Amino acid sequence: MSAAPENAKQFGEVVLRITGLVKWFGEVCVFDGLDFEMRAGEVVGLIGPGGVGKSVFVKLCCGLMEPDAGRIELLGYDLAAIPEQAKQKLRERVGLVFQNYALFDFMTVGDNVAFPMRQRGGFSDEEVVTKVQERLSEVDLPKVRHLMPGELSGGMKKRVGLARANINDPELIFFDDPTAGLDPVTSSKIFNLIRKTQAQRNSTCLVISHDIDRMRAACDRYVLLYQSRTHFAGTAEDALASKDEIVHEFFQRDKDVQHH
Amino acid sequence: MNPLRAIGSSVLGVSETVGGITLQMLRIFRAMIPPRFDRDETWLNLYKVGVKSYPIVIMTAIFTGAIMVIQSGGYVKQTGATGLLGWGAGYAVLAEIGPVLIGLMFSGRVGANNTAELGTMKVTEQIDALRALAIDPIHHLVVPRFVSMVLMLLLLTALGDLFALVGGALTSQFILEVDYRVFFQGVFESHLLDEYIIGLIKGTSFGASISVVSCYYGLSVSGGAAGVGRAVNNCVVTSAIGIFVWDYLITYLANNTQLLQ
Repeated sequence: MSAAPENAKQFGEVVLRITGLVKWFGEVCVFDGLDFEMRAGEVVGLIGPGGVGKSVFVKLCCGLMEPDAGRIELLGYDLAAIPEQAKQKLRERVGLVFQNYALFDFMTVGDNVAFPMRQRGGFSDEEVVTKVQERLSEVDLPKVRHLMPGELSGGMKKRVGLARANINDPELIFFDDPTAGLDPVTSSKIFNLIRKTQAQRNSTCLVISHDIDRMRAACDRYVLLYQSRTHFAGTAEDALASKDEIVHEFFQRDKDVQHH
Repeated sequence: MNPLRAIGSSVLGVSETVGGITLQMLRIFRAMIPPRFDRDETWLNLYKVGVKSYPIVIMTAIFTGAIMVIQSGGYVKQTGATGLLGWGAGYAVLAEIGPVLIGLMFSGRVGANNTAELGTMKVTEQIDALRALAIDPIHHLVVPRFVSMVLMLLLLTALGDLFALVGGALTSQFILEVDYRVFFQGVFESHLLDEYIIGLIKGTSFGASISVVSCYYGLSVSGGAAGVGRAVNNCVVTSAIGIFVWDYLITYLANNTQLLQ
């Protein structure tokens, strides 16, 4: 098991705090005063209807987009108050698995996974290769190091993305719809993998998905985004006990579908 | 559409492009101080931009030199002033036509390819992935391309000049039946070093212009495959305009400020 980075947050400490987030795209308001909080060691599921801005939310949290108003505190740093170089340094402590894989198509799988480590520097070639092989084995892909991303299936690409996001042992990992377009069996494997790697490294994870039933294998609690704001935050039990129509529709319907 | 609104919209569009390209250029210069290059990416680009472009540059240059000789052929035959053949072709090729045509070929091949490559990376979120992995895309992708294009267009212009003269000499020998030694004597006796240097300055400036423009359009792509197509189209048009603007400025400066005299 890999050791956590020295600057890792203590268990239970706030790693991501968002207050009054506002984001517009032209005439469309995506977030209108959204509040959100996440603590170290948690696995939070972010759900909501399509087009509510879940992917935008992740990009804002990583500093890949600028909010129009509000405050985003990532690992204790206010993103608006630090320069781009400091943001870059901060991103070394964060991992992101993209919805559309975003693997570098001109590199082999091995080079993709090794890339963040090589860019960070301070490792010998042997150390890089060993760690890449270790990460690929963790995601059940021990023999794909020399293949190109185009030669992999969707599920395999997702797992390579997961290995790449994990290579530098980040404290906080964002998973942007890691099971989109995958079959139920592969989806379950991905969620189990998220839980397993989180438990191994004691990292904090935010998982976006529509597959609420399978998310339960990985998530401690859920946040429902609805109409530009946080509509609900709590555990699956809280959601199932909720009288709120929207929460009920999201959680209970998914459960009903599973029973049928 | 209201004509005033159409004019206003065009002015805003052009201002946005010029502003964007200027900002892109400043970002590149800032990223180069202190000079830090991604070695692998720079080598790869030097190969892609330079080595893979030389066949097309040699072809362009040979025909450019040949055309210059054919154009002046009628006059030379009429007057018997064969000594002027080398001067005429050499002057036009080294100072003007060579760098401009090589620049245009380069923008069509390398600039368009660069925009398509960066644009595809943008729409498939690979640029965001770089940033998420704490890697600055300007450092990692743009600076190596800028350095490669500037350096390689300088070298390709120098190489192209040589082959343009060879093309001119061959045409002189076999089409006009003027001995190739007379052609080269005309070139060397005309003391065209200043024109040659001005041509190289132009080639370097075109390389910088094409790289900044192609990277700007590549990194500002939006709207999927159609957006990439539009960006490539805009890149080729803007690069060509950039080449003529730089050509005009350098020619004006060289002739009015006695830059090299």
